[in-house]
Amino acid sequence: MITNLHDFLHQYFTIHDCDVITESNTEMTIRLTRELDQVLMNRPFYWHYMDKIGRVGEPMSLYLDTSTKKKDNKKEWIHFGSPRLQQIFHHIKQNARFTILYEETSGDIKTPLHPWLVTNIMVHYRGKQKKESIHSIGLQLINGMMKANMMKHLDAFTMDLRMSDYSFTISPIIKPESGFKRIFHYLENSLLDEDMQWVEESKKALREEIQLLDYFFHQQEENKEILEKEKERLTERLEPRIEIEIINAGLFYLTEKSSQAIIKD
Amino acid sequence: MSIPISRDETFIEEYDEAIKTPSQLADWQLFKQSYQIAETMKIPSFKDLVAPKFLPHLEFLPHQIECAEKVIQHMNGRALLADEVGLGKTIEAGLILKEYMLRGLVQKVLILVPASLVNQWALELNQKFLIPAVTSGKRVDWQNTNILISTLDTAKSARHRQAILEQDYDFVIVDEAHKLKNHKTKNFQFVQQLSKKYCLLLTATPVQNKLTDIFNLISLLKPGYLGTYEDFIQQYREQKRKVDEDPYLKQLISKVMVRNRRSDTGVHWTKREIETIWVPFTDQELETYHQVEQFFKHNTAISSITYVREFCSSREACYLSIKKWIQQQENIDLPVVKDLLAAIEQLPHHAKALKLVELIKSSDEKFIVFTEYRATQIYLQWLLQQEKIPAVIYRGGFKKGKKDWMRQLFQNHAQVMIATEAAGEGINLQFCHRLINYDLPWNPMRLEQRIGRIHRFGQENDVKIYNFALKNTVEEHVMNLLYNKIQLFENVIGHLEQILSDLNLPNIEREVEQIFEESKSVGESKIKLDNLTSVIQSYQQDNEAKEHLL
Repeated sequence: MITNLHDFLHQYFTIHDCDVITESNTEMTIRLTRELDQVLMNRPFYWHYMDKIGRVGEPMSLYLDTSTKKKDNKKEWIHFGSPRLQQIFHHIKQNARFTILYEETSGDIKTPLHPWLVTNIMVHYRGKQKKESIHSIGLQLINGMMKANMMKHLDAFTMDLRMSDYSFTISPIIKPESGFKRIFHYLENSLLDEDMQWVEESKKALREEIQLLDYFFHQQEENKEILEKEKERLTERLEPRIEIEIINAGLFYLTEKSSQAIIKD
Repeated sequence: MSIPISRDETFIEEYDEAIKTPSQLADWQLFKQSYQIAETMKIPSFKDLVAPKFLPHLEFLPHQIECAEKVIQHMNGRALLADEVGLGKTIEAGLILKEYMLRGLVQKVLILVPASLVNQWALELNQKFLIPAVTSGKRVDWQNTNILISTLDTAKSARHRQAILEQDYDFVIVDEAHKLKNHKTKNFQFVQQLSKKYCLLLTATPVQNKLTDIFNLISLLKPGYLGTYEDFIQQYREQKRKVDEDPYLKQLISKVMVRNRRSDTGVHWTKREIETIWVPFTDQELETYHQVEQFFKHNTAISSITYVREFCSSREACYLSIKKWIQQQENIDLPVVKDLLAAIEQLPHHAKALKLVELIKSSDEKFIVFTEYRATQIYLQWLLQQEKIPAVIYRGGFKKGKKDWMRQLFQNHAQVMIATEAAGEGINLQFCHRLINYDLPWNPMRLEQRIGRIHRFGQENDVKIYNFALKNTVEEHVMNLLYNKIQLFENVIGHLEQILSDLNLPNIEREVEQIFEESKSVGESKIKLDNLTSVIQSYQQDNEAKEHLL
């Protein structure tokens, strides 16, 4: 959960190697890198032109204000729902889908790292209405142990894209591909135990809407096409279904100590 | 129960490739951030909106939340918001817009509102909803501005029309959408042509004259939903009687329209208590009153009614306007006019003004005083100053900064705000709960606007309204016949706008004036006024029956 938007953004820009100057706890100036300029500033022609004439080009700066009261400070006001934040969220989601991370270790003792498949999942319940639930599931790829709330367990750990010296990985026995299958299977089983009244309600609403359409168009031969289209759209919108979407997933190599701690927790 | 469950197979397909490509791997912070976003933005339950969580400083009313939920969950974001006046249609629209933006479904937005409301919309969206909306200024960039507030006239003008029609909007809002009720107008066709995903039409009067009004509005939201225009007319005009009874039509409409009434919002409204304060003229004043009346009756070319009304407000208002009249005359019986002006000049303080001072002095409460005339406004300000009562004035013509300043002075320092008619719109004074109608407008809609400044959501106290009326003058007739008879003070008006437009009485003020001008005696004017109110009254009852349709 994002509890402080300012800190969240600060972290985002820092991760992406931008210089961030914080003027106050709600105002910041960011000197973008070329990469982020291209992502956020919507000026492909400028960069195309720079490349063509062989120049480096000058990334722009962003001036953001995260306060909940708009001030007249010539800064771009950013808040949940604002287009700029949507853009940034989108960028993060696109770039944080896959990973392989290693727990950081110190010292010069050889340390084996155990493989986990960590999968963050959003379940979309779609019908007359919509809701979502999030599941963070970890699967130990040696012994098949499964753990819920995985991100919470991992939160305190220091993970790195590079393996520490003297660490070595143990190869998975369960392949990630079948790991995903196990996770899906487990999740689907638990979904079937949930209250299904919404499914019934959605089906009922769909039936009623179609009846209404039929009544309204029944005398209108020439409107047959509209009727069919409307029916299609209604079905798309109301037919109950569940979609399992993976937010992100990756291989996490953890020390035996950490693995045990998670399993016992 | 069976339910189709689909798995994210694409992810798994991509996973194998990605995992071999170091550049595609996210570091731990970023991986966590993505998960945090999902947790923050997820929609946790079927029923609830996420927006209120992000707007903790706002307190929504139950019917506003319900409206937003209905529009989003059942209407697919295309709806006619037709709440009665004063229930917060703007708030509902803002909430829906915010919800879609938070869900990441909306980025590009066009909001079309009447010119007088552009700034208010911008203020509300920015301050209340933290939505970075801008108004279309002189140099407007339709392509690169995400959330724009403009007027229909600006948008459809030759200069901008094409640029706007080239945009793909995620969300279009049209306020005062009854302007789109006729499908042959440019307004209608323009909105129809806009490329839009979600769309809200806001109006307090979805059916103004005919059922086709609502047909046209709904056709903008869901083309073909009610068939073609011709079909609709054929089916419903011919069998007019059956409209109310057609459950299908009613059901269809209810699926695209939200209409809350005050009575069913379940919200506790503070009471409005009305008191008429009858003020007698002094003999001297009454004599001069008749003098003014007689003088203009003899000059048959013009009507005395304007001057008489002004006289009932203040000497100053009447005096200035007679002077102005003199300047426009060529042949004029000067001695008579001079006598008349001299008589006015010699009058002591106006009876109503003295009553006003007395009333205000008897209380520590704040008062807002409305008058129709600038001259009266200035006179009252001067008089209150003499009496050491701190007062500020307020006019519609003030610049925004000055308006805000006056409002603040009133809230923090002054006891009285004296406002002219033009101030009726666009200012909220909930901290005040005493209102004096120093003189009455002859148009009940304007009266409701006055009262609406203080009697609205956010008002925590009962509201007391004093109506001043002079005995034995034209004010007495208007008070008794126009206002008391149709119980305008007691009923929240809401419907009246529609009634007047249905009865083809767009300018009721002019109607009343005409009655006084054309009547030869007091008795005649009374009868005519009585007739007028009877028509409105009977229509009022009639309309209540008709309203069941919606």
